[in-house]
Order: sequence, then structure tokens, then C-alpha cells
Amino acid sequence: MKKLLFILFALIILSHTVLARDSITVSIKPKHIDGKMGDVIEFESNVTNNGASPLKGLVAYISLIRVTEGQEIPMDLEDWSAQKADKIDLLAPNDSASSKWSMRLIDSGDYVVYITVVDKNQKTPIVSEVAELKIARRQQLNPNNVLPIAFGMPVLIILIFLSAGIYRRLRR
Amino acid sequence: MKEIILKELKSELLTPRGYLWYILTSVILSILSYLFLTNIELSLLDQSTMIFFLMEAVLSLGILHSIIYGSDSYAGEVERGTMEVLLLTPIRKTSIAFGKFAVSVINWFILFLISIPYILVVGKSGKNISVAITYLFILGTLIIMIVTSFNMILSIKLKSVKNAVLVGMLVFFLLGTAIILPPSLKHSSFIRYLDIINPVAAAVNSFDSVVIDSEGFRRQVIRIVVILIYLAAVILLLKRASQRDELVTGAR
Repeated sequence: MKKLLFILFALIILSHTVLARDSITVSIKPKHIDGKMGDVIEFESNVTNNGASPLKGLVAYISLIRVTEGQEIPMDLEDWSAQKADKIDLLAPNDSASSKWSMRLIDSGDYVVYITVVDKNQKTPIVSEVAELKIARRQQLNPNNVLPIAFGMPVLIILIFLSAGIYRRLRR
Repeated sequence: MKEIILKELKSELLTPRGYLWYILTSVILSILSYLFLTNIELSLLDQSTMIFFLMEAVLSLGILHSIIYGSDSYAGEVERGTMEVLLLTPIRKTSIAFGKFAVSVINWFILFLISIPYILVVGKSGKNISVAITYLFILGTLIIMIVTSFNMILSIKLKSVKNAVLVGMLVFFLLGTAIILPPSLKHSSFIRYLDIINPVAAAVNSFDSVVIDSEGFRRQVIRIVVILIYLAAVILLLKRASQRDELVTGAR
């Protein structure tokens, strides 16, 4: 009798565990990227419907948070040329939808990236694990060979001005 | 008209003051180009956006020169007491007006020539550089003609350099919404309606269209027509204003 009760109890616990499993899961990969300013990188997310019924109108979006010590702040992805959201019109049971999220690295530091999925029928959004992003600084002192022009043009105009003055004096 | 052009070139542009304008303009463009290419965030803008920003800067500097030159054209002569002498010469009033007008356009050509190396270096390895230079030259010249004519009319009517510059600057702030306002405000419907009838916005939106969006000439036709309508109107008004008899009288 005790054995039977134990089996019954185990079955109840197991069924609760299965029911409690999230109907939607979201993952992000890779889990870590090292990049340099100016690089274009890409994350991939996977949204899976673990439930028994299809899901409609899911919205997935990416978030980027700077976690460099003393500079913790969420970033405006518009500056990073990143695609901000992706709509999943229909996700069948046990099906997955993958999305690619590319972004241009515009500032150095330590960041975390994660994907959030919002289902209008659920009160809580589903969030992926965070992926780490480390961006190294890129220092450019003379990009596009700009220095000769930046210094040369004002100097050239000054030289033209001085030459014109000398020419006028010589003519007198 | 040739005499007026030569006189104005010698007294206005080919002078230490004129050269100082060009040196300062060149220094401003040097700083902007260096910032565009080296600043941490701006250096990561794509090339065409940087060219567009530089075109806006060159046009703004050209407009600023034209406001000052146009405002000084008549009121300056009156304030310096040289207007009577000028009117006593056997040169037609229309020729005086369009001689001064031509010098302002020549001044713009010099500014444009100064800006070319900067555009080339900022846009190096980018797309639409030749298109950018062509549109800056054509639309920039038309806008400079409008601004010069308008400020010459102000100069004739107000007979005060200070007032003409002030009104010219205020009008520029009104017309320069396409340059001055942040991108988020440009999306408001009021600004969009204002842009349709604003010649400066027409030029700036055309720069955006051809350089950033790589759109063709067909998309620019309406904008160019708007600019040409304003140009025709201000040139007619300038012609009429320059023939007034009371040009020599002082500020009212």
C-alpha cells in the first residue's frame, strides 16, 4: 500500500513538472563574442513552442546592456544599426523559429545581450539567457588619410593669400 | 556689370577679410572631416551619411556667407556713404544688382571648390561621391542664388546691414529646419508639410535622397521645381527693388 501511494505521489509530482515546463523557450547563441569597434557581428535566437497548441503573433526583441563597471546602462540599438524586433506570425507545437540579429559595434566595453519573447496571451515575457559581448577599442588617428587634407587646405589658402599680397606689392 | 564684378571682387573677396572667411571655412571643414572620420561613434557612420552631413555643413556655410554678403550689398554702401558714387557711374541699376549678385555666386563657387577635397577624403571608398558633388554644386548654387537675392532685397528695403543680417538669419533658422532639427522631429507631419514649400529643405532632402538612399533624378524633380520657383520669384523681386529711386537714402 505504501509503495502504491509512493508511486501515485511520484506520478503527481512528475505531471506537475511537465505542466510547469514553459510553453515557450528562447535561446541565444553564441554565448560569447569578442569583437572590435566597427565589426559587424551576429547573434542567432531560437524560439520554441513546447506547448500543445499553436502560438500566434509572438514578438521577439533583442536587448543590449552595457555592464562595464560604473557605466551600466541599456543601449539604444538604433545607433548600433541592429534589427530591433522580429514578429513570429505562427509557431506550431514543438516547432522552432530562428532569427538572426546583426549589429555594428560602435563603442568599446563589456555588454550582455538577450532576447525577450512576448506572447500576448501570457502575462510574463520569456527571456533567454544572456550572451556576453566584449568590444575592444579601435583607435584611428588618420583614417582615410584625412590629416594631409585637414591641415593642408587651411595652409594652402593662407599661402595663396600671402602670395597674392606679395604679388600686389611687387606690382606696385 | 563686369566693372561691378571686378570692383566687388577686389573690395570684398580678394581682401584679407575675404581670405579670412575662406581660411575659417576651411578650418571648420577640416575639424568636421576629422571628427567624422575619427570620433568614436561618428567614424562608424556609413560613408554616405558622413558625406551628407558634410554637404549640409558646406551648404550652411555658403548660406551664411550669402546672408552676410547680400545684407551688406546695398545697406553697406549706404552706411559707408558710397552708394551715391556708385549710382553716379554710367552703370545701369540692374547691372549693379546683378554684378553684386554674381560676386556672391562666385564666392559660393570658391567655397564649393574648397569643400571638394574634404568630400573626397570623407567619402573615400564610399558610394555616390560624384553624385554628391554634382548635387551640391547644382542645388547649392540655386539655394545660394535665392538667399543672396532675398538678402539683397532686405538690404535695399531695410537700409541697415545689422537689420538685414538679423532678418536673414531668422529666416534661415526658419528655412533651415531640415538641417537644424534632430531626425526625430523631422518626422512630424507639420515639418513634412513645411518641407514641401521650403527650398532649403528641398535641397537638403534631395541630398539625403541621392546620397544616402541612392534615389534617382526622377525623385528630385518636384524639389528642384520648388527651388526654381523661389529663385524666379526672388530674382524678379530683386530686379524690381534694385530699380527704386530712393536707394541712396539712409536707414528709416
